[in-house]
Amino acid sequence: MKNIDCLIMVINMQNLELKQGIHDSIPIIMGYLPLGVAFGVLANEVGMTITQATIMSVLCFTGAGQYIAIGVMQAGGAVFTIILANVLVNLRYLLFSTSLVPFLKERVPTAIGSLLSYGLTDETYAVAMNRYQNHAPTASYMAGLNISSHLGWILSTLLGAILGSYIGNTDRLGLGFALPAMYICLLVFMIKRKSDLYVALTAALVCLLIGYLVPSTMSNLSNIILATIIAASLGVMISERD
Amino acid sequence: MIFGVALVSMLPRILPVALFSRYEFAEPLKKWLSYVAPAVLGSLTALSVLAPEGFVDISIHNRFIWAFIPTLVIAIKTKSLFATLFIGIVTMALLYNFVQF
Repeated sequence: MKNIDCLIMVINMQNLELKQGIHDSIPIIMGYLPLGVAFGVLANEVGMTITQATIMSVLCFTGAGQYIAIGVMQAGGAVFTIILANVLVNLRYLLFSTSLVPFLKERVPTAIGSLLSYGLTDETYAVAMNRYQNHAPTASYMAGLNISSHLGWILSTLLGAILGSYIGNTDRLGLGFALPAMYICLLVFMIKRKSDLYVALTAALVCLLIGYLVPSTMSNLSNIILATIIAASLGVMISERD
Repeated sequence: MIFGVALVSMLPRILPVALFSRYEFAEPLKKWLSYVAPAVLGSLTALSVLAPEGFVDISIHNRFIWAFIPTLVIAIKTKSLFATLFIGIVTMALLYNFVQF
């Protein structure tokens, strides 16, 4: 009897974690909506079928990378160019994923953690890291957050691909500010020490400066990688004085 | 094409968790990694507000900068993601519909 009670408690807790993950994905999905729809519309315009556009969002889940693919296709570029650009665009996830390891270790089974990490994006990363500051990670939470965000991306692509050009300008709804607003808020949550603030400001400055001086880094997002490496190193140097 | 992109977008996310989970990182590396999140968020915020169209645009014509101000205030005051998102989206909608840039 006691074992069953324990089992029920564990299942209840997992349910709660799953629900929390789904709940936390709502702002992400709101932000993905206009982006996914726009991707669906553009994919349609360069000649992809509804199925192809949707499958791309199922298998890829890389907003920036998918937009690049459309751009290169439009310009009549090679598949090799698309893939090479995507290697660069997705390189930052090596950093994101590695920084999650100390949290997931021994709390989420490696196989499940690795599989669920496929749902890692700028947004799910930011939300998850924020949660892990004061809650232990669980596979259920990761599943709720990452899978529902991915579903949001897939469904909005499908919507865009089906409705195509019938969709007017979604900018008027202000949804274009959903992701920036989320970043702003999560940044505020993430800053706990002075050194966090300096690191964030340095990263912002370096990222913009590199993007301004070498505009090509803006489309492959390598400026984020460089800015993160420089700012995190600065963080290590100044944190002793914290 | 789709499978190629899928592969290169999948590997960098999955491999670190799959390969590094069995190792204990050295303290300095852990400390460095703990600054990755604030650095990434700093970069993302800066890019999304100051370069919303893919190029740096620091001018009074950039709506995102105007929307940034009340959004930041609400984020600091309320510490609520939903309130922040709501104010951000409403401000942006108002700027789009009622202010000529």
